[in-house]
Amino acid sequence: MEINLHARDVAVIGVGMIPFGRRDEDSLMDMLAYASLKALDDAGLGDKSVDAVYVGNMGGGILQHQTAIASSLVDRLSLLPAAAETVENGPASGGSAVKNGLLAVASGYYDYVLVVGGEKMREVTGWRATDFIATMTHPQAEYIYGVTLPGMAGMFTRLYMEKYGVTREQLITVALKNQEMGALNPYAHVEMALSREGIFDSPHAVVNNPPLADPLHLYDACPVSDGAAALVLCPLEMARKINKPPVVIAGFGQATDTQTLQERDDPTDLKAVTLAAQGAFEMAKLTPGEIHVAELHDAFTILEIAESEHVGFFKKGEGGKAALAGKTRFGGQIPINVSGGLKARGHPVGATGVAQVVDIVFQLRHELPKNRQVKNAENGLTVNFGGFGNNVLAFVLRRVKQ
Amino acid sequence: MREIAIVAYKCTKCGRIHYPFHDRCLACKGREFETIKPQGNARLLTFTRIYNLPWGFDQRFLTIGVAEFENGVRAMGQINVDEDFLLTSGMAVKASWEPVRIQAGENVYGLIYSPES
Repeated sequence: MEINLHARDVAVIGVGMIPFGRRDEDSLMDMLAYASLKALDDAGLGDKSVDAVYVGNMGGGILQHQTAIASSLVDRLSLLPAAAETVENGPASGGSAVKNGLLAVASGYYDYVLVVGGEKMREVTGWRATDFIATMTHPQAEYIYGVTLPGMAGMFTRLYMEKYGVTREQLITVALKNQEMGALNPYAHVEMALSREGIFDSPHAVVNNPPLADPLHLYDACPVSDGAAALVLCPLEMARKINKPPVVIAGFGQATDTQTLQERDDPTDLKAVTLAAQGAFEMAKLTPGEIHVAELHDAFTILEIAESEHVGFFKKGEGGKAALAGKTRFGGQIPINVSGGLKARGHPVGATGVAQVVDIVFQLRHELPKNRQVKNAENGLTVNFGGFGNNVLAFVLRRVKQ
Repeated sequence: MREIAIVAYKCTKCGRIHYPFHDRCLACKGREFETIKPQGNARLLTFTRIYNLPWGFDQRFLTIGVAEFENGVRAMGQINVDEDFLLTSGMAVKASWEPVRIQAGENVYGLIYSPES
């Protein structure tokens, strides 16, 4: 095969997602298969196969004691002899799977690629799940102390509050907004709106919303979820033959940072987020001001605020105020996490980066009900945040004018 | 009291201090390092009290923080304080080397910070 090294525009022609939550009845492979079939059907591929499959998964080897997950999936879906790889990059595994699919199609090597991300986290105890996530920290300098990802986020939040004046009220605003939107999303893990009184204002709030890793409280964190999401990618010229509004991945960026927070010159500076977003914007030839809807990695409320600043929607120190002023709400200046985000849609770690892209494709196809559809949305952004900001992917998606 | 077993790495080319180890300097890519020990008292840079603990910690909460020693070494450690003790960023803390968890029946040693009295 002659390899065409000239990059091609890559379209998302099929998307699929299963409701996130606690899915005791489904294995990891069941969930990956269900989401994949939905995406393949949405793409209208019928019995046609794909050239390659990339599976984003972080914990199958630890939680399910199962490896070579992509090989198993292509067999189950009868996609043989498609090429298949599992992509592990912590909580950014989904984003990395999307990137691999994007590059494979853009390069001209493959035409049709299935990207799927999934995780099954609820079959172990909370103790085990927390420990599993903590394995991404440095083994000697962090993990041995019992630090958790909420713990990392708690320390980051304290620094951010001290430097930029972020308040608990601003954090709570993000939680309320995202759970309000999650209540409207049939794919969300937590389809339940919260009341400000119940988690912040009333004397009972301390019971309802206890400290998790101070200054963060329980409702500042995303749930531990099972779930899967999938995409089918192909070159734009082939996508034009399909009777759906074509959406292209117009830009992507990825950057890394030190594994430990303590080695960053300024631990509040999420450099990898800034660089990943800049890369995505440059490739797409768009600016943050031209984005109409965004899915940011709000594993903790502070991250939505910090990321909204680091991608360039707001100046440093203004993200919390913008959230409080309603600028990031549905109908606001830049709607963030209209899906409910990780906070409400849930965070099956390997699925998240793919699910974010699926949600933006829903928006750019204008397929959502009125109470969630950002009017005339043409450009969207996703940020998938791995580790504690040490491996970040950003994607800019664009609706193509037909 | 046991000696603190942490070793940090000072780049011989540009002087940047690293902990944990890197094969190349984060600042100048140099590959030669002088090993140094954390020295003097430390100041708390940030901290948190974690209530949702991972497997292996059978207790109600754990207080963890990052401190910077007088010679510039920064390291995470557990903080030995009661739940109602008011910690503040910038607080002076003393470091010791004590068991921080048990793995496979064996004590694992690490940094424990205590507020200066």
